[in-house]
Amino acid sequence: MERTVTKMSGSRTGIRIDMASKRTASRAKGKISGKVKPWLFLLPTIVIIVFWMIKPLIQTLMYTLYDWNMLPGTVPEFVGLSNFKELFNAPEFGSAIVNTFYYILMMLPFSVILPMIIAALIQNVNPKMQRIYRALIFIPMIMPPVATATVFQWLLHQTNGLINHVLISVGLIDNGINFFMTEGLARLMIALITGWKMIGFATLMFSASIGNISPEYYEAAKMDGSRGIRRFIDITVPMLSPTMMLMIMMSILFASQWTFAYIDVMTQGGPYGTTTNIYYLIYKYAFGNSNVGVSAAASLVFLVVFGIIALLLQKLSSRLAFYDN
Amino acid sequence: MTKKLSRLAPHLVLIVLAFSAVFPLYWMFISSLKGSTEILGFDLIAAQPTLKNYIDAFTTVPLFKMLFNSVIVSLGTALVQLIVAVLFAYAFMRWNFKGKNLVYGILSITWLIPIQAIMIPNYVEVINMGINNTLLAMIIPHCCSVFANISMYQNFNSMPRALIEAARMDGSSELQILKDIVMPNMKSSIASLGIVLVITAWNDYLWPTLVARTEDVKPIQIGLKSFSGSDTYMWGASMAAATISTIPILVVYIFMNRRIISSFMKGGIK
Repeated sequence: MERTVTKMSGSRTGIRIDMASKRTASRAKGKISGKVKPWLFLLPTIVIIVFWMIKPLIQTLMYTLYDWNMLPGTVPEFVGLSNFKELFNAPEFGSAIVNTFYYILMMLPFSVILPMIIAALIQNVNPKMQRIYRALIFIPMIMPPVATATVFQWLLHQTNGLINHVLISVGLIDNGINFFMTEGLARLMIALITGWKMIGFATLMFSASIGNISPEYYEAAKMDGSRGIRRFIDITVPMLSPTMMLMIMMSILFASQWTFAYIDVMTQGGPYGTTTNIYYLIYKYAFGNSNVGVSAAASLVFLVVFGIIALLLQKLSSRLAFYDN
Repeated sequence: MTKKLSRLAPHLVLIVLAFSAVFPLYWMFISSLKGSTEILGFDLIAAQPTLKNYIDAFTTVPLFKMLFNSVIVSLGTALVQLIVAVLFAYAFMRWNFKGKNLVYGILSITWLIPIQAIMIPNYVEVINMGINNTLLAMIIPHCCSVFANISMYQNFNSMPRALIEAARMDGSSELQILKDIVMPNMKSSIASLGIVLVITAWNDYLWPTLVARTEDVKPIQIGLKSFSGSDTYMWGASMAAATISTIPILVVYIFMNRRIISSFMKGGIK
């Protein structure tokens, strides 16, 4: 469609071009200068970003040095670095850090490893069928988090949940498991639910990149006599490295964000703090304990650590990623 | 034999994947139709379907009001985000100006700031502005989506420059070019992005939890929590409410899944 429009107006320009050039010359005076124009269009973005993102970020950084409970009428009190001391000494802090990385690592099978294998397996499925599968496997990605959490709570219910029922029926266990109250299992369930959300989307991402690999590579491989798994390792995997880097990046950024709602609805960080991640800790300190200072300190720690990771990954991806020109 | 198997294997994998994606939804829906004794069983269909759970859900919390709140907040947020993004994308596509890279750099960095790192000052700000516990409080801080800005810019970049040049020669003002030339051309990508923004706002969780305090202001996602928070857990009603909170999104998805998927995927590929 765009192409037809281009053609039409192309011919239109041809006719009017000399008239127009005269007009622009006369209009140049008394108009908003060209230098200001872009900034007028950018104004809403800049104002909103500065007011609702950059200003609060600076405020959060300042709060790390203050003690405050957010109550109206109270004033933040300067306490130096003691918030950091309190944070590092808190028993939850260690487990929050460990869990943050646990969730990220647990995401990788669902965001990189399985999707890549599945995408390679299904690359020859006929496109019409693929469209139906695509629509179905993408659904978890658009599911509202609270509805998702509620459904999985019900599926995993100790006495009336379908999953316990199935596990008992096949003789794997004798009594229903209380998944969300069992240390270790609660964390695993949250990771699996997040993985459930991710896997379809990741598969489609890898599928799309596989579709972009030039068939010539495969033909060349065929002539060399390499088949199946060899071909997957020699051609598909290296060609997919940009998508792999992207999905690893997304896992790092989203694992913490997506688990947040599930943690809040299903476990509130329990049992014994074994499911908290760093985001949940920041939230708990601010709105559970009304301890703005420690919450801000946790934010700062998070920003520094993740900032470094993001930077390293970017370096790594520009060095390792193999692009098909 | 092996040939047949190797042709079937991909389908098998896809069927397992599709099944695991859809089954929880199916179970949610079927459970919502089961009576209070039937729901404790494990039948894959509801033998005696009943709407009692839905009636319970609607009488326990003001679900209609909450649905209405969600509609206003998600449409309002998406609309403002689109306007901001269109203006941003136009400036970026149209001109090369000093500071452009700086603006783009700052924008990409703010994308990495999680809401948890800015929620306290924003919460205090909303209280100071006197809009805490209103629908406005859920819209205003999210007026600019960095994701929307960057996606829109990528879409606009595919716009043929000759068209804009032609309109400029005709003496159209910048806003006219944007309105008459760029936007009609970009209609479908703007719409796709809009749907994704609506879904994102509909599914938003943390910020509404903070600023929606009373039942009459809560969007449906937060209202849903009142079921899981109570000690006497009403599973049937809870599944009914979860179903209701999901249906609007599913309906949109059924009609526009191809656009939605491609918009999400474009967002991934930056």
